[in-house]
Amino acid sequence: MKKTIFTLYAAITVALMIWGYYQAIYVAPTDALQGEIFRIIFYHVPLFIGAFLFFAISLCGSIGFLAFRRTHPEWAQSADAWALAGAEVGVVFCSNALILGSMWGRRAWGIWWTWDARLTTTLILWLIYVSYLLMRRFAAGPQVQTLAAVLGIFGALDIPIVYMSNRWFRTQHPAPVFGGDPGSGMDKSMLVPFGWNVMAWLAWGILLLILRHHVERQNQKFAEDEAAESLNASN
Amino acid sequence: MNPAAILDHQFRVAAYVISWGIQLGYLGWLAAKWRAQKQDAARNRRDGEKAALRAGQ
Repeated sequence: MKKTIFTLYAAITVALMIWGYYQAIYVAPTDALQGEIFRIIFYHVPLFIGAFLFFAISLCGSIGFLAFRRTHPEWAQSADAWALAGAEVGVVFCSNALILGSMWGRRAWGIWWTWDARLTTTLILWLIYVSYLLMRRFAAGPQVQTLAAVLGIFGALDIPIVYMSNRWFRTQHPAPVFGGDPGSGMDKSMLVPFGWNVMAWLAWGILLLILRHHVERQNQKFAEDEAAESLNASN
Repeated sequence: MNPAAILDHQFRVAAYVISWGIQLGYLGWLAAKWRAQKQDAARNRRDGEKAALRAGQ
């Protein structure tokens, strides 16, 4: 049953991605000022929305792990798997969005990178979560999950700073399109394709998140089995 | 078509291709990891069965 639901969800996600692509290329009009390069927005912004969502899931997982690690170890392990999955998928989305932003900047501003407030805070966010993943990959010992959870919680503090950065500091990055000054926003002819792409990318990200969580839970079970076998062998 | 528009088009195509390269690359890595886990689980099960048989003899 679970497998059927997952397969159905994957099929809907693929259909949404194809529909999103069609909307971005054939339905959305060409921007009057920026021309075709503006179509990068249909991938760039949804990818960042996804990255923020998955880092927030990682934060919830980290809090859950710390809250349940003594009282409900099984819940804590599942929360830890969500924390890892959220951080990893978030890093994939954030890396992708940063690359697209750099390409867009090259055409729009004539530069690949600048130390503007939005770009710099985003790079810091990316570095924090890359360090989280590196720690989980290379550190050993019983405290790794706890340390990772603490890093995950503090790393998430950068999310609101990234969000607010181009509201607090007016530097190179454009002012917010959504939730910005009066008069900001997007024309309906672009808003509909944008909405489809946000939905498609979130569905895709959730698919990756579920898969990554499943793989991590299997890893935890193998590790538990191995520990039990070692204990039996030593007794 | 002017050269700037052609360059915009090339950048847009490259951006979309890079995105799908990254996303499908990650999906492929996950699938490989999952497959390796399944193979490990099957090997462990076989080893366990063999050990149980030896213990019974």
